[in-house]
Amino acid sequence: MDRINKNRRKFFQTSVALVGGTIFYSLIKPFEAIAKETTIEKNVDKPLWGMGVDIEKCIGCGKCTAACKTENKVPEVPFYFRTWVEQYTVKNDGTVKIESPNGGIDGLVQSVPDEDIFKSFMVPKLCNHCSNAPCVQACPVGATFVSPDGVVLVDETYCIGCRYCIQACPYGARYIDPIKKVVDKCTFCYHRINEGLQPACVEVCPTDARIFGDLRDKKSKLVKFLQKNQTQVLKPHLNTHSKVFYNGLSSEVK
Amino acid sequence: MAKLIFRLLLSFIVFVGIFLVIQDYLTPESFGKYGHYRANAIEDNKLDIPQFKGEEKCASCHEDIYDLKSETVSIDDDEYILHSNLRCETCHTPKIDANTECKVKPPKLESTRKMCAQCHFLNAARKNKIKMIDLTDHNEDKNCIECHNPHKPWIE
Repeated sequence: MDRINKNRRKFFQTSVALVGGTIFYSLIKPFEAIAKETTIEKNVDKPLWGMGVDIEKCIGCGKCTAACKTENKVPEVPFYFRTWVEQYTVKNDGTVKIESPNGGIDGLVQSVPDEDIFKSFMVPKLCNHCSNAPCVQACPVGATFVSPDGVVLVDETYCIGCRYCIQACPYGARYIDPIKKVVDKCTFCYHRINEGLQPACVEVCPTDARIFGDLRDKKSKLVKFLQKNQTQVLKPHLNTHSKVFYNGLSSEVK
Repeated sequence: MAKLIFRLLLSFIVFVGIFLVIQDYLTPESFGKYGHYRANAIEDNKLDIPQFKGEEKCASCHEDIYDLKSETVSIDDDEYILHSNLRCETCHTPKIDANTECKVKPPKLESTRKMCAQCHFLNAARKNKIKMIDLTDHNEDKNCIECHNPHKPWIE
């Protein structure tokens, strides 16, 4: 009788320890998010880079596309772009023509006769540097990531060239480098901004249609731009938390 | 403890140990410091050398041209900036390393009608943003720079 009781007590002890441990762990688990939150808060002194694009100012000269290719050694061949400019033409009959021959690198030329045009505008595009980036979620090896200062970067030595991120990116901002065979994309000219320079596209823009700055610095040009204008991000329904803000964005833009 | 259980536990510990050692060898340095990626890749991305140096760099040698470019013009009490807000490298794209090679092989800029047209050609999307020129009609046999100095493009 005595022996049975001992075993029973042991059984209960083990059971309670197991169940209690599980419950305790499930109580702790949600707090991991808080632990991560605090590490993010440690970066508050770091900048959070973003860009504003003023569609009302862009003239579609393609200087940004060309400068980006020079600065970042993007292959000269068409269809490899870190940034490019699209021209949207809404015709009088309601149809929309979108064109971007060679990324607009030689200046965009209107192909629709003036009398058929209802409205026409240029949309410069680039990586939107999402805080909640689909490409980062898709990468199977951790070769692409959001840096502590909010820039989506690629680890060239780690990328296996599987192209999942190219599929995942809703903005079409990525391509496979034909020589290195790894993925490449806009980095906000990470080597320049860390030296206090502007990204190449911002540096050359003749009409100041691109504004680059620190979203955390309330005195930065970018924050002023956001306060002054009613800006939108591309594809807000995807909840990507994009950090490229467009002023004067029309609903036709995809 | 039964011998069987002991052996099982021992082999379990050994396998976990081997796994941890292999994992340590295969995980690159700094992986997981900020997240599921190699933190040193941030430094790797900073390594490139900027090609576009900024106009202060240009002005340090070519101050005269820089001052000429920065002039504005007043027409009927309205001040026009014209090209004065352009950065040098908007047109003079760096083709060489400006720090070392600028005097040895100066970069030539091809001032063609095509180059001016890149910004100034007729386009419905440029209305009210920039002076548009119909280059099929405007002195079609001449180069733009024969009349307009690009650093001071208005004609007095």
